[in-house]
Amino acid sequence: MLSRVADSLYWMSRYLERTDGILRMLKINYASSQDDIGEFSWKPVLKTFTYLDEETANGIAHHSRAVLQYMVTDKENSNSVLNIITHARENARSVQDHITKELWQCLNDFYHTIRDEQLVRGIHKDDPVTILDVLIKQGLLYFGIMDITMARGEGYAFINIGKHLERAVQSADIVDVKFSDLNYDFTKTDTTYWKYLLLSISGYELYLKTYRSGFDAKNVIEQIVLNGDFPRSVIYSVDRLHRYFQRLKSERNMDSYRKIDFLIGKTRSKVKYSTVGSIMEQGLHSYLKGIKEDLYEVGNALNLNYFAYT
Amino acid sequence: MQTSELLNSYHVDANTWDEMYTDLSVREQYQGVVDFMQQMSIDELNRKEELAKKLFMSQGITFTVYSSGEGIEKIFPFDIIPRIITASEWKYIEEGIRQRLKALNLFLKDVYNEQFILKDGIVPTEMVYSCPHFLREIHGLPVPHDIYVHIAGIDLIRNNDGTFYILEDNLRTPSGVSYMLENREITKRIFPDLIPKNNVRTVTEYPNILHRNLVSLSPRQTANPTIVLLTPGIYNSAYFEHTTLARLMGVELVEGRDLVVDNHRVYMKTTSGLQQVDVIYRRVDDEFLDPMVFNPDSMLGVAGIMSAYRKGNVAIVNALGNGVADDKAIYTYVPAMIRYYLNEEPILKNVPTYQLGNVGEREYVFGNMNKMVVKKTNESGGYGMLMGHAASEEEIFRYQVEILKDPRQYIAQPIISLSSAPCYMGGRLKPRRIDLRPYALCGPGGIEIVPGGLTRVALREGSLVVNSSQGGGSKDTWVLAG
Repeated sequence: MLSRVADSLYWMSRYLERTDGILRMLKINYASSQDDIGEFSWKPVLKTFTYLDEETANGIAHHSRAVLQYMVTDKENSNSVLNIITHARENARSVQDHITKELWQCLNDFYHTIRDEQLVRGIHKDDPVTILDVLIKQGLLYFGIMDITMARGEGYAFINIGKHLERAVQSADIVDVKFSDLNYDFTKTDTTYWKYLLLSISGYELYLKTYRSGFDAKNVIEQIVLNGDFPRSVIYSVDRLHRYFQRLKSERNMDSYRKIDFLIGKTRSKVKYSTVGSIMEQGLHSYLKGIKEDLYEVGNALNLNYFAYT
Repeated sequence: MQTSELLNSYHVDANTWDEMYTDLSVREQYQGVVDFMQQMSIDELNRKEELAKKLFMSQGITFTVYSSGEGIEKIFPFDIIPRIITASEWKYIEEGIRQRLKALNLFLKDVYNEQFILKDGIVPTEMVYSCPHFLREIHGLPVPHDIYVHIAGIDLIRNNDGTFYILEDNLRTPSGVSYMLENREITKRIFPDLIPKNNVRTVTEYPNILHRNLVSLSPRQTANPTIVLLTPGIYNSAYFEHTTLARLMGVELVEGRDLVVDNHRVYMKTTSGLQQVDVIYRRVDDEFLDPMVFNPDSMLGVAGIMSAYRKGNVAIVNALGNGVADDKAIYTYVPAMIRYYLNEEPILKNVPTYQLGNVGEREYVFGNMNKMVVKKTNESGGYGMLMGHAASEEEIFRYQVEILKDPRQYIAQPIISLSSAPCYMGGRLKPRRIDLRPYALCGPGGIEIVPGGLTRVALREGSLVVNSSQGGGSKDTWVLAG
């Protein structure tokens, strides 16, 4: 496979995973903002998914419509859904001969949907959840078509590498930002706070089934970082990342392969052989920061060894 | 009845061949389509038109226009009424194109090797050497199977008595074939059952034939040669076509930056190292192909690719230097080539063409400017053209001044009226002028022409210019089985 093609598939996939994360986060936080007696703050969301400076973020943190507009359709925001989908489509466009026609059309439709001014006007006026649902569904269509139509070859491996790398970083980020919002105070037991966090990553039901004793910050950390059955957990994502990377093993590229296999394996062991106790001992922030740095290193190594073509 | 409403405003221009109507009645080949349209209401037809637009958009059969830093997606206008060619018309066209291509291919081989045709004075030597697309760099270079033109898109028009004329031979990187394929797919969607009922021949073989021909050109004797389609990239207006062809043939779509030349061999950069490339179907023009030999500023090509080509380590399709054969001034000599190389009379006629480099012909043209279309010999896409009947005196004068600066670069042709065909426009059928571009593929097994092609249509009333850059659209093109 061409290095350029692998690069484009990898980024297309990362962008779609990011889009899914952002849209779910927006939907649930919007619901939460309607449910909050006090002043609901969008700050954690803005911190996780945008590059806004402290002051600007504070400026819009209490204005739901402004945040939604900024994160969905703002052209100046490089991480807005509009811009991410545009990039994803550009990537897909340049590798149309490597993805199925259905997948291309789905992404192309997604692009035209997000650019439909009438639709996104709802973000300002009507019920934004309706609009977010339309967009989330378009994303789900992508994931379904990917699963059903794409050949299980090298391209599929790169797509899944991108997807799970993005997801691992995202989940680590979400936990880190949420707790920094509380100044790493692990005693907060406010049910709504944890409920909405878990809902935003589709982990609420699983939490209820796993932990019978109500909400506890440590349990939340355990589920999002260490629960191998939870598809949004860090351990699950790193596991998958490793599994799909190993499919790239070939005689022709042994040196590069070994280097990256080592990096991913190391990260995976680090997460796998952690407990909530050991994480607390190290300090949650320092632990998550370490994991994220490891993942960035994997990304850079992929770039250098598999995607270099210019 | 609906039909009369649909048809009653259909007035064929005087002195024009109409594809659907004779003086009084609908031609037999169009009867099926007309009957079908009769059963539909205007609303239904409008919905069909809307559906066609939506299908083009959602499949990304678009080109992007960039304005104020933002890309706007556009579709090439598509008219829902097919253009229909009868079996006997097609047989004639097919034979004519086959004959013409045979001669053009022999001309290219000759002009880049022994040059018999120049020595015998059939084509003037200065005509060839003054052509900007004549490449001295490839003189004496052998090409696989002596084939220079692997893919040709030859433009045909019909004058007022229905005679077909060759307007242009496109022998370099003719485009539009994806529209031949996609327009058909759209028709299948908007008019269910209409195609099988009308006995329309299929066009889907095109990518398979092309792929088979490309495989046969591989310099390496290997069961599975690496074939690539070289595109200028996603910003090219024909990018959709490049991806479609790559996908339909199952070959790699590459950009210049994906390729590298080492030791006179071309490689592509893959995730598992370099992989040798055997055949390149390039959609990049000659002058951008190798910055070391041609335009040094080109970012689209591959440095050193000419050295690999010269060594015969890679096949390039179409061959380099073909521009000398589809030059608009050389065009005049194609009938002579057919007589010279094949000892046959040309089946398809040329449009009479005046060389403005020739004083007598120039004077005649200048005296009759309002009946002439004047074109630059090395431009295409409808650029640099003057339609005498529609130009002001001042425009004509300014154009004449330009011509006198370098008369060799201009030719003139009497304005041919172009046949008209029905187009669906706001609930009515209206006649609009059309041309036809069938696609011919030459391989070691001979010349194959897929029964169909691209029908371009001048959507503006009264316009004779069908180029997409000048407000033209396209139609699905049916060739009926006998």
